[in-house]
Amino acid sequence: MKLAVFWGCRILTSQYAYEMSVREVFKKLNVELVDLSEANCCGDPIKSVKDSAANYLANRVLAIANATGLDGLLVPCNRCHFTISEAKDVMSKDKNLNKKIESLLKEEGLAYNSHIKIWHVIDFLHNFVGLDSIKKTAQKPLNGLRLATHVGCQIIRYSDLGRVDDAENPRKLDELVEALGAKTVDYAEKLDCCGAALMYGHPNSALSLAGAKIKALQNLGVDGLVISCPDCGLMFDFRQKDAAATVGAKTSLPVIYYTQLLGLALNIEMEKLGLHLNQSPVEQLLMKIST
Amino acid sequence: MGLTDLMSMAKPNMDARENFLSKLSSREFVNCFQCLKCTSGCTALKLLELKPHEIVKLVNLGFVDELASSDIIWTCVTCLKCVQRCPQKASPYHIIMVLRNMAVEKEAQIPEEYLKTVSRILETGLAEAPQEVTTRKMEVFDRKSLNLPKITFPRESFQVAFMKIMEEK
Ligand code: SF4
Ligand code: SF4
Repeated sequence: MKLAVFWGCRILTSQYAYEMSVREVFKKLNVELVDLSEANCCGDPIKSVKDSAANYLANRVLAIANATGLDGLLVPCNRCHFTISEAKDVMSKDKNLNKKIESLLKEEGLAYNSHIKIWHVIDFLHNFVGLDSIKKTAQKPLNGLRLATHVGCQIIRYSDLGRVDDAENPRKLDELVEALGAKTVDYAEKLDCCGAALMYGHPNSALSLAGAKIKALQNLGVDGLVISCPDCGLMFDFRQKDAAATVGAKTSLPVIYYTQLLGLALNIEMEKLGLHLNQSPVEQLLMKIST
Repeated sequence: MGLTDLMSMAKPNMDARENFLSKLSSREFVNCFQCLKCTSGCTALKLLELKPHEIVKLVNLGFVDELASSDIIWTCVTCLKCVQRCPQKASPYHIIMVLRNMAVEKEAQIPEEYLKTVSRILETGLAEAPQEVTTRKMEVFDRKSLNLPKITFPRESFQVAFMKIMEEK
């Protein structure tokens, strides 16, 4: 199995642990990832500035993926996944914009292809690889752990677009965690947003959103929070201290990418999974796994 | 500027409403029946008092310019809950995005980070520059020391195309 992969900006420029763990885990699962060459930003931040330009950027990514000749594209960032999915939808509905974008792509010798299947890590592992096969390959079960999941906003909404999981009751990430032997908890704040998109204009409010969620999870006494989006990683892991401070809390909640957790279960070395890069105290969680 | 101040002198402008409608392809905001499902679940409501149903109502009444000049449209967290839950496919999120685009067009004051991002994309193709990361043990890493592949940035022909679409009316 071969897949093209589009990392977007945030993973490539700071959320290295996600990139490393995806690379390692997919290798172990015999999926070859082909990096796009000369890819650009997916267009998400430009949506607020000029919608047509954002659609151009997203569709340029698809055109570059098309150039690989592969028919599947892995997009591990929630925000990129949404932006590209919506841009693809707009291309099929807005004939004028479609023409404009196709001619701009042509100037660069690129061609748009609407048939490329867009995967996120979550649905690729859940729907394509499958829970059974993940259970079988996991050599080191994570029994005894009690974890919370945060699936994020943009891979589950809005359903008309065809998303990765149910908008109001997403279960796939929980099931993937449970396939490794750990338990997951249901909690009231599960669908609350991490706030990353507000970092541009209202950083303190953004951090307080993340802080409120981390505080609630800390009170629940879970062993850690499992995520699968680099924006959520930025807010809950990288900025956890600042986020907690905005709600007057001190927290020490391990935050880990699902692919890091899966990597541990697949017996991949911690360094290779970038576990030294998480800013939250993941050693608390790692201790519970090794004992 | 605050929406309340902007509204104190406002007059409805139906041409602006028409113009707005033309930019909101395939969305049916005129069908909003003010059920408040959007606002009751809005992430930015508790935080910054964004009331998406009010935005939809005001657009419908022709107060497009006032909204485009207001700072309230920049409080949306883009969680997409209102798109998902609106029974009328009015989709406040998409309305807010069109208003933001209009704010940029009329050069209203907007959070400057958005414009900086445009320049970054123009320069490198990416919205952010690669960073060094300091670990919990105070070691510093970058892509190279982590053995991650080099980023290949898009060539000049990309800049030309991106400029073209950014400058288009
Ligand atoms: S936009 Fe939709 S959800 Fe909001 S008040 Fe109108 S009909 Fe209800
Ligand atoms: S997308 Fe924006 S307006 Fe809609 S519910 Fe989320 S924060 Fe509120």
